Parts: sequence; structure tokens; C-alpha cells
Amino acid sequence: MQQVYRLIFKDPRFHDLQRRRGRLSWTLAGIVIANDTWYVLATAFYPEAAFARFWGLPVSEGAAITWGIAIGLAQTVLFILLVLYYIYRANGEFETLKEVVVADALRAVGTQP
Amino acid sequence: MLFRPLAAAAALVLLLLPPAASAAEAVNSGGVAITFFLAFVTATLGVTWWAARRTHSTHDFYVAGGRISGLQNGLAIAGDFMSAASFLGVTGLIFGFGFDGLIYAVGGLAGWPLVLFLLSERLKNLGKYTFADAVTLRLAATPIRCLAASGSLVAVVLYLIGQMVGAGKLIQILFGIDYAVAVGCVGTLMMVYVCFGGMLATTWVQIIKAVLLLSGGSLVTVLVLAQFNFSLDQLFVAATQQHARGVAVLAPGGLVHDPVSVLSLGTALVFGTAGLPHILMRFFTVPNAREARRSVFFATAFIGYFYVLTFIIGFGAMALVMGNPQFADATGRLLGGDNMAAIHLAHVAGGPVLLGFMSAVCFATILAVVSGLTLSGASAISHDLYASVFHPHASEQELVRVSRYATIALGVVAVLLALLFESQNVAYLVLMAFTVGASVNFPLLFLALYWRHLTTSGALTGGVLGLVLAVGCIVLGPTVWVEVLGHAEPIVPYKYPALFAMCASFSGSIVVSLLDRSERAARERAGFNAQYIRAQTGLGAEGTPA
Repeated sequence: MQQVYRLIFKDPRFHDLQRRRGRLSWTLAGIVIANDTWYVLATAFYPEAAFARFWGLPVSEGAAITWGIAIGLAQTVLFILLVLYYIYRANGEFETLKEVVVADALRAVGTQP
Repeated sequence: MLFRPLAAAAALVLLLLPPAASAAEAVNSGGVAITFFLAFVTATLGVTWWAARRTHSTHDFYVAGGRISGLQNGLAIAGDFMSAASFLGVTGLIFGFGFDGLIYAVGGLAGWPLVLFLLSERLKNLGKYTFADAVTLRLAATPIRCLAASGSLVAVVLYLIGQMVGAGKLIQILFGIDYAVAVGCVGTLMMVYVCFGGMLATTWVQIIKAVLLLSGGSLVTVLVLAQFNFSLDQLFVAATQQHARGVAVLAPGGLVHDPVSVLSLGTALVFGTAGLPHILMRFFTVPNAREARRSVFFATAFIGYFYVLTFIIGFGAMALVMGNPQFADATGRLLGGDNMAAIHLAHVAGGPVLLGFMSAVCFATILAVVSGLTLSGASAISHDLYASVFHPHASEQELVRVSRYATIALGVVAVLLALLFESQNVAYLVLMAFTVGASVNFPLLFLALYWRHLTTSGALTGGVLGLVLAVGCIVLGPTVWVEVLGHAEPIVPYKYPALFAMCASFSGSIVVSLLDRSERAARERAGFNAQYIRAQTGLGAEGTPA
């Protein structure tokens, strides 16, 4: 197994894979953390801070729903969409690339993939 | 062979169920809730009997043989997360505070994408039964497993007491059953599920309950929205007319106002999720990383949908239950407290049948969640401590037996502690469980997976620091030191210490690891590449041909 690991570690496609997948995970994780922190801080600083003041305003003239509630519900949808996008990439192209890299390494040491 | 104890347990439950306490206390006196609940118990005992015949090895017992599909596991994860505390608690918070209840919903959901992006895949590829497996691939097994097992057991027991006390109270109100009998009932049924059916039964109990809770919640939501011509706006208008704060209830205010506390609460919710052992364990029940990712997608979608439901139910209760004299006590407060808002709303929306159904679903929810918790505690005892630290050469049969003893021991401990804590406000116990998850398990797992330079001594320092600070700050903080122990001033001014404890744990681990120049540390750093390739590719992972 150590030999297979060494072969994979030498394969530039493996480093390409982990760099691209890592970049995707960290970007999406950053979006989630930034959104959550912003949401929580806007709640804490309402209504003093300028960036939080519009949260209590209605989304349109005469509506009861406020921006804060609309954004809160939109966050839920956003998180689900981000997850869907990650799965689409990770279970699609990344998984295919990973299988090729592993199969080549196993073949090189004479094991059937 | 296993059927007889199951039948005996079912008979015991039947005997225990008829209301023992005064029916006047109960929200519903009818037999509807009991009928629905008995149907649930019968179905889940049937599932347990079926699962028991398929549970022979430790692999079956801990992770259901690794044969759960992504959709099934997603439902089970969602079920673990949608506890009665979060269903009744979050609807109660929205009912009482309006907008601010949403922080719990958004914070609770945000943990899931993070678990998917950063942990699920590596965890699945490295671990076998518990998250400690993934961490000890290159770190010293004995001390790290002791640390991981302590973190897990502390979190599990705290969470378990919180759930059991909540369960006892809830069942007392809903069914009019005596507190001790209710707690005993939950404990007995939970031990039967876990002991005989292992992870397979626990997962299916969780799936059945998740489907029931989501469909019951959807029904209440649709019936409530129908009363407002399916217009959210009309619902909010009606709600603000009832609430004392009027339209201000649709904007932030009141509940949490200090930025440090809010951030710290967010930290506990988000990273605590990623450190709770009964949730991490679920990633080992699927066959591969692909299914692990799919299960997080289903879990996130179901939990997101669940929070939208709790949101509408909370405001629905504000519109239809608040100010309704039928549900107020002599002082004008809601019967049974704010946590009963969703249950009263079910009564308004769908009459006694829906009330009975939702009451039974809440009971089922508690049962399913305590079963999952107990199983993860039992695996920490038998797999991390007994098999890996004390008796490395124990046989399969012996380990399954130890797991069953551990289950019974945990069940008995949980019941006894629930009786002991009966009259206490236990909300802080659940908070403490999340704080321990965020400041012991999460930093350990995250650094082991991502940071080459982590060493055993660093991990131990950080873990112990996180554990001591998390528990210490909560005990010395406003909730326990002032409200429970009755001192005048808290020693630690913050209610939510997760932010500090987690940061201390991370920095302790990092500083000590960097200072560690021992030979063992060098070996552990050198082991990172192999661990990294396995984490990325799944090559050599449990359950795949090597």
C-alpha cells in the first residue's frame, strides 16, 4: 500500500485534483461562514449599525415581511444550493479523476484495480 | 431467540402506558396520542426484531454493516438533528421572540454545509466506527482514544440528560404519565432498540421518526397557511396583532444583544454540530465517500425544510394560539410554557387527532434521538476504550457483548441522572454538550485531518484545555453559577463560552505541536502523507479492497 501511496503522491493529476477540490471546499465554506457571521452580527448590532438598519424594514411598500426575515429564509435556500453544487462537482468530475489516478497507480504495482 | 425479550419489553411498555398521574395535567385526555404512540412502538419493535437477526458482528452493531444508502443516512442524520428540543424549542423561541428565533435556525443549518465541505469525505475515508479511528491513524492510539472517548462521553451524557429530562416533562404534560414512569419508559425502549438492533435498528427508528415529524409538521403548516389564504404576509400581519411587541417582532431585538455572546452562540451551534459523536458516527454507516456526500445533501435539504416549517409554525402559533384564552393559564401565560406552542397549534389547526399525532411524534422523536446518542456512547466505551486501550485482543463476540453492557449501563445512568435533575432547568446541559463538541472533538478532528504538524502531545494539550474551559466556564458562568447554584455574581460573565474554549483548544494544540521536537512527533508528521492520500482517495479505507 505504501508503494501505491508513493506513486499517487508523484502523480501530478492527484495534486491537481486535491488543489481544485480543496479550493472549491474552502471557497464554499468561506461563503457559508461569512453569511452566517454577517447574519448573526447584523442581528446583534440592530438597529444601531448602518449595515443592519434595513433589516427591520418591509421588503416592499405595505408588506409585513421584513428584509431580515426574507434574508433568513434566503440563507436556507442558499445553503442547500451550495451543497448541491459541491455534490455535483465532487461526485462528478472529481470522483472520475480520482478513480483514474487510483486505477493507474494500482496497475503500475501490478494489482488489478 | 431474541423475540422473547422484545415481546416482554413491549408488554412492559403496554402496562406502563395508561395514564398514572392526574389527567387534568395532560394537554390531551383522549386516547388518540396513545394509539398513535403504540402504533409507533409496535412498528419500531418490529424493525428491531428484523434488525436483530441481521446484527452479528461489531461491524453490524456499530455501523449497520456499512450498507445504509445516502438517502436513508441523510434522513437519519436529519432525524438526529431534529430533536424534540429543536422542534419544540425553536418554535417556542419564535413564538416568544419572533425574528430572533431565526438565529438558531440559520446557525443550526450552517453547520451542515461545513461538515460536508471540510469533514465528511476525509472522515469516511479514514475512520471505521468512531471519529477517533480517523485521528489515531498517525497519532498515538492510547492517549488520543482516551481523550476522544472522554470528549464523546461527556457530550453524550450531557445531551442525554438534557433529552431525558425534557422527555419526562413533555410526556408528563402530553400524556399525563408520571415523570419517573415516562423516563423509565424512554430508557427501557431505547435500551431494547440499541441492544438488540444495534445501528440498523437505531437508523430505521430515526428514519421512521424523521418521516413522521416532517409530514406532521408539513400538515400543520399547510393547515395554518390555509387559514391565511396561503399568504405569508397575512400570517405575519395576524401574528404581529397578537404579540405585545407588534411589528417589532419581525425585526431583530431582545433575545441576544451582545455581539460576543451572539458570535459565541453561533460558534457552539455551527462547530458543535461538527463535533457531536452521534452525528459523526453516521458517516461510517454508508459504503463510500460518494454516498457520504449524498447523505449530507439529503440531510441539509431536510433540515432546511424542517427549519422553514418551524418558522411558519412559530409565527402560526403567535397568530392563532397567543391571546387564545383556551391555551392560557390563570396568569395569562401559555399552558405548559412557550415550548408547547407547536403542540397547541396542532390542536387549533387539526383538532384532537392532529394534536394526538404530533404528541406521539414528539415522544417518538425523543426515543429516536436518545437511541442514537446511547449507541455512540456505547461505541466510545467498547470500541475506543475497551477494544483499543484495555483489551486489544478481544474477540468479535466479546466486543458485541461489551457494547450491549455499555448500552445498558448508559441507559441506567441516563435514567438515574434524569430522575436526579428532574426539577432543574436543563437547557444548559444541551448547550454544554454542543460546547464540548465544538471545543474538544472538533479541533482534534479538524487539526488531525488538515494539519501535518499536529502531534500527540499537542492534541492532548488542546483537547484537555478545551474540555476544562468548556465545562469550567459554563459552571462558573451566569446560567449555572447564578441561576442554578444561586450565587450573586457569575465568575465568568459570558453565557456561551464556546468561542473562547474552541480558540484555546486550537491554540493549545498548535503551540505545543510546534514546540514538540521529539522523535515520536517527527514520525507522526511523516505519517501525514499516507493519511492524506487515503483521505483524498479512499484507497485503503475500511470496507474497500486494499
